[in-house]
Amino acid sequence: MRVQAYLLTAPAALFLVLFLFYPLLNNFYLSLQDVGIANFRVGERPFVGLANYARLVGDPVFHSSVGLTLLFVSVSLLGQFTIGFALAMFFNRAFPGFRVLRALMLLGWLLPLVVTASIFRWMLEGDLGVVNHGLRAIGLTELAKHWLTDPTTAIWGVILANIWIGIPFNMLLLLAGLQGIPRSLLEASIVDGANGWQRFWHVIWPLMKPVSLTVLILGVVYTFKVFDLILIMTGGGPVNATTILTMFVYRTTFEFFRFGEGAAAAVLVMLIPLLFTIGYVRATRHEEAL
Amino acid sequence: MSVLAWIKRRRLHLTVTGLVIVGVYLFPAYWMVATSLKPRAEVFASPPAIVPYPPDFGSYQDEVIGNPILLRAFLNSAIIASGATLVTLVIAVPATYALARLRLRFAGSARFVTILAQMLPAIVVATPLFVLFSRVGLVNSYLGIILAVATITIPFALVILRPFFLAIPTELDDAASVDGCNVFQTFLHVGLPLVRPGLATVAAFTFLLAWGEFVFALVLLQQQSLQPLTVLLNTLIGQYGTRWDHLMAVATVIGLPIVIVFIALQRLIVGGLTAGAMKD
Repeated sequence: MRVQAYLLTAPAALFLVLFLFYPLLNNFYLSLQDVGIANFRVGERPFVGLANYARLVGDPVFHSSVGLTLLFVSVSLLGQFTIGFALAMFFNRAFPGFRVLRALMLLGWLLPLVVTASIFRWMLEGDLGVVNHGLRAIGLTELAKHWLTDPTTAIWGVILANIWIGIPFNMLLLLAGLQGIPRSLLEASIVDGANGWQRFWHVIWPLMKPVSLTVLILGVVYTFKVFDLILIMTGGGPVNATTILTMFVYRTTFEFFRFGEGAAAAVLVMLIPLLFTIGYVRATRHEEAL
Repeated sequence: MSVLAWIKRRRLHLTVTGLVIVGVYLFPAYWMVATSLKPRAEVFASPPAIVPYPPDFGSYQDEVIGNPILLRAFLNSAIIASGATLVTLVIAVPATYALARLRLRFAGSARFVTILAQMLPAIVVATPLFVLFSRVGLVNSYLGIILAVATITIPFALVILRPFFLAIPTELDDAASVDGCNVFQTFLHVGLPLVRPGLATVAAFTFLLAWGEFVFALVLLQQQSLQPLTVLLNTLIGQYGTRWDHLMAVATVIGLPIVIVFIALQRLIVGGLTAGAMKD
């Protein structure tokens, strides 16, 4: 019996070892070697210890990508979470058609990232984009910018698109949390004379903290992962204005063919999801018992 | 009774607010379809027409039906998404069953691994896979890209399927083993038939994820004859610059199957997503 049970998991285990963990380990090994375009397929790969990591630490583009990642993740999260929470509160009421409308919101999250990215690239286009048309129509002509090709605004353009993508996911999970709040508690607070604002801060918010923590952890990781969106919208540019860490890994490897250095960057980038996985597993461990 | 009171009683004011919210939110998706239905000159019109009337299907004729490269890419997307769905189901379903129903010693670390696998940025996995696959000849092959996509969809399937298997009463397993079924037989004859909705959910999700996948395909498929729609769209953006009517037509074609699958399986998807994320 035991053996059969383990046999059922064997294909999955073997698959993950072969195609996920072996490549990742191999990547770590690669990060300790000097590998460029010349010796990528054949030839000697000199072992250089931590030289690739040292080069990253001294690289101003790497520094700026760390800063941009922090900005990208924190602002995206703030936007997704607050808007998602507000919408969850709204859709947590029964009214004619609420199910259909709620489900429609999910479309934004299900659209392939390349599709969303190209739509936002088009909407934010400088001369013909609908965003600038809108700004000009309401008299804010001086605000109309070449959003994605101006180094000062490009990162805000990709943040906007990323908030749009994340709203439905945040809404859906927070909605599930809101539905878990016992009606009796809300009714009791109304009897006690609490207004809507007090009800939110003293009843709803404290009860929503565990769910919010889960949603935020997932949000950090999913935002940290973002790559397709930026590649399509700006390619990491102009210059390096939207090169967040994932873009940095890609460009180092596939644009500059510095495989060793790219591998080192990838190893560093992996540390964040690793930490957050530990956090997430802890935060949701009690639910595992249910 | 006044009309206003009637509206309030039926909570129709909330419906109207909801419609406005959804309308504003989905405007980008609408704008994609609207742009794809405009003739070229209208794309340059200022101010732009909000509703493309009369709709012009020229972009679809030129760029979709009349373009063998795009039809090829559509086929490639279908092959990759179906292949990944098949591989994912075959590998993930028995594993989820065993992890959920049979007390295995490494179940805890399996949970950690599946979550970690989902949290890794695709580019971090794609680069080493490229290194590995270029040594064993899996770059520029359907098999290679399908296996690569499955590194995302298998962990995802493990999480989504778990609640479905947990929901089966254990008495059924016991009854099966009293009747002389071994673990494989119980899995096939008791477990599988009871999680059919779960299988549909996972298949739908896997297909959606694989259909929209871009990073692995970008890195692992340099040959245009093998590239899926997502990579083609990226190439077209580089080539066409301002042919937004054409680009939005291609984007619409990529999004369409997603919308169809979503409408068909809406209930399953919403339920499965919440259960998978919140309860694991």
